[in-house]
Amino acid sequence: MSNSRVSYDEALAAYRPLAERPLQEQHDDVDALLRAYHPDYRADTMTTLKVGPNSGEPCHRQLAEVLQADARIDDADLAGGAIVETDVLVIGGGGAGCAAALVAAVAGAKVILATKLRLGDSNTVMAEGGIQASIDKSDTPQMHYDDTLRAGHHLGEKRLVSQMVMDGPDVIRWLIQQGMQFDMDEFGDLLTRRAGGTSANRVCFYRDYTGLEMMRVLREAVQNSDAEVWEYSPVVELMINEAGHCAGAVISNLKDCRYVQIIAKSVIIATGGIGRMHLNGFPTSNHFGATGDGLVLAYRLGAKLRDLDSFQYHPTGLAHPHHLAGTLITEGVRSAGTWLLNGKGERFVDELKPRDVVAAAILKECAEGRGVQTSDGGQGVWLDTPGLELRNPGILKQRFPKLLHLGKKAGIDPHISPLLIYPTLHYQNGGVAISEHGETTVPGLYCVGEASGGIHGRNRIMGNALLEIISFGRRAGAHAAERRHGKGHKRTSIDHLSRLRRELTISDMPMEQKSPMLFPSCAKFDTDVDYEGLRRNRRK
Amino acid sequence: MNNESQQVVNAVIDGKAIQAPPSLSVIQALWHAGYPRVKGVGCLEGVCGSCRVLVRRKDESAVNIELGCQTLVEEGMQVMFLVFPNPTHHHYRLSHIQNSWDLHAQFHRIFPEAANCRHCGGCTRGCPKGIDVEKGVELASAGRFKEAGELFVECIMCNICMTGCAEEIAPNHVGLFARRVTAYFHSRPSNLIHRLEQIRKGELRIEEDKDE
Ligand SMILES: Cc1cc2nc3c(=O)[nH]c(=O)nc-3n(C[C@H](O)[C@H](O)[C@H](O)COP(=O)(O)OP(=O)(O)OC[C@H]3O[C@@H](n4cnc5c(N)ncnc54)[C@H](O)[C@@H]3O)c2cc1C
Ligand code: SF4
Ligand code: SF4
Repeated sequence: MSNSRVSYDEALAAYRPLAERPLQEQHDDVDALLRAYHPDYRADTMTTLKVGPNSGEPCHRQLAEVLQADARIDDADLAGGAIVETDVLVIGGGGAGCAAALVAAVAGAKVILATKLRLGDSNTVMAEGGIQASIDKSDTPQMHYDDTLRAGHHLGEKRLVSQMVMDGPDVIRWLIQQGMQFDMDEFGDLLTRRAGGTSANRVCFYRDYTGLEMMRVLREAVQNSDAEVWEYSPVVELMINEAGHCAGAVISNLKDCRYVQIIAKSVIIATGGIGRMHLNGFPTSNHFGATGDGLVLAYRLGAKLRDLDSFQYHPTGLAHPHHLAGTLITEGVRSAGTWLLNGKGERFVDELKPRDVVAAAILKECAEGRGVQTSDGGQGVWLDTPGLELRNPGILKQRFPKLLHLGKKAGIDPHISPLLIYPTLHYQNGGVAISEHGETTVPGLYCVGEASGGIHGRNRIMGNALLEIISFGRRAGAHAAERRHGKGHKRTSIDHLSRLRRELTISDMPMEQKSPMLFPSCAKFDTDVDYEGLRRNRRK
Repeated sequence: MNNESQQVVNAVIDGKAIQAPPSLSVIQALWHAGYPRVKGVGCLEGVCGSCRVLVRRKDESAVNIELGCQTLVEEGMQVMFLVFPNPTHHHYRLSHIQNSWDLHAQFHRIFPEAANCRHCGGCTRGCPKGIDVEKGVELASAGRFKEAGELFVECIMCNICMTGCAEEIAPNHVGLFARRVTAYFHSRPSNLIHRLEQIRKGELRIEEDKDE
């Protein structure tokens, strides 16, 4: 294997847009390709959990590190601090959290929504493609159900999937009632388009801005509801009652650097994904706060997790320039017929293969020295947008305005120059195991959205994530609101941490690492003098 | 690592003198120079509207508000983060607006300041998305909500226009109101309604084991 990687400038100088580039016949066995190059299949990235409800099960090494780490707080941090009570506490201000908070508040519960930074800083706001719902006359919920299970390699939870797809049309109606717009035809019917790996036109969308439209509408709806919004209030730990049920959470207030206990009759985790954990060193398409906190919080309380070794790497993340690395280029660009080229200008994979296969093929090219090297140590392959334009004049401007916008930010004109791309960590397939109401295995604790698991099996089709967050967000919000009629807690504490610390010590786990992460390491939260007040017990 | 990354520029970010390669955004530049930064960071892709910064460029007296994740660091640049944007004082619920004939009147009750727009253009000049914000306020005030809302398609609710408006009009919330009422009162997709009816009548069911 020669390591004759060409530099970005060399490769760009040698590049010419061509109308034809035949694909060499592929002899690769897909399974072998995945096993050799897809990060999920690499044995060296996996470990077995030793502590907690999933002990003995496989888990990504980096995720295991935070699941089996010490907590950020102990009793001394809470002494004398403020205590607030509510019926429902929602953790996380993305689409799932906002849907849960809105429904619970309308049902009459007192709701607090605590979120890490600003309401709406989320993966939801970044979604472009759209949301699945079986509406088209050529489609049925059964087809949606079959497509979802098949794509997930039949590992999804059937009950959850069938409930979600039946919710689809009503989810769209509910979103319209919150004031969300969708693209329609001249008669006012919803337009739908097809996602890869599905059997009907089923994706409802608003231009390339589905997530932005959804998030700004839900944010405005929540801010105009009876739910109280606590921004800049990341949750650092959950609390338990005398029976070991979930009883609330501890937030760290980033404005005045104090811990506050929120006692709640039910708690809904809606903290989203893990992209900013940069698993295996990959760049990510995710927002700044996607650090897997919900998994850690739930696990410590004894909630069962699932599919902790399955993640989606989207093939086309931007690899150059450096300040935009990881930014998603929508799947639509490949679907339109854009080729992928290695450093020698050759195609190397059928670009329309599923996401995991294309990502693995790109990683193989780079590993075998046929990638293109950037000046800051990154690498990638070309997304041949000038070739697409040559074959279909005008297509970029017409169909991919957001791509051109990205090009502008990158200082690259995709009409003239190809874009360097590399797989980007995109989605957490698994998560906290839940029931049809979003209940976890711990009474009083719910989990919805990307943080939960069970719907997508080991692979998600485009558009099902946005459906899931609203479908389960609404259900959990309604169910959790009902619990307000139940008895209050006799005693609330963070006593589960003593058990955690004992188990960690017995299993010889390093106690230096603290979790949840809260912020990506690049932000240096743990050494920021602004937050000194949140580190009392650490200095002791 | 190599020649290119050795090129650096000098800037002052949040009162700290830093050196960083010009390919970095001002947020990344601050991190690159070893300083922490958590507040005001969001999606890092210019869509969440969180990382609003005050920017003054070398040899310029004007101070602009821009998005920190989208602004590349330049020689001699001064940058201050703006955090904790204030929520607007306007409150409304769509479900409380019973009748769409009443919409125009309700708008002026909810956004009484909109009629006072002095057409200073401050909102439009500041918008990082190039939205004709002033025009949007004018259209909404005239009851032309659909047209007004169309102008705000790309609005990321960064509140920059709101911060700059001396009349406290909250132009972005005006725009979002215009968009929301358009969907709330006028989106009635017949294909969706038909499907909801089929489901309500039990005509569409799922056989969970059919696919085996
Ligand atoms: C670039 C991109 C494009 C996408 N495109 C599509 C698409 O076209 N269709 C589709 O269906 N899906 C798409 N997805 C996936 C989908 O957007 C997400 O899976 C979904 O929006 C997740 O919603 P959520 O509410 O669960 O989490 P998020 O929207 O990520 O919200 C989680 C919230 O929890 C907060 N939080 C995290 N930790 C804490 C803590 N400790 N305390 C308090 N708050 C916390 C976060 O700050 C955030 O506000 C895309 C994802 C990305 C990144
Ligand atoms: S209209 Fe206002 S809130 Fe919207 S993007 Fe422009 S400046 Fe930001
Ligand atoms: S800044 Fe305010 S007053 Fe000036 S044009 Fe905009 S909306 Fe009108």
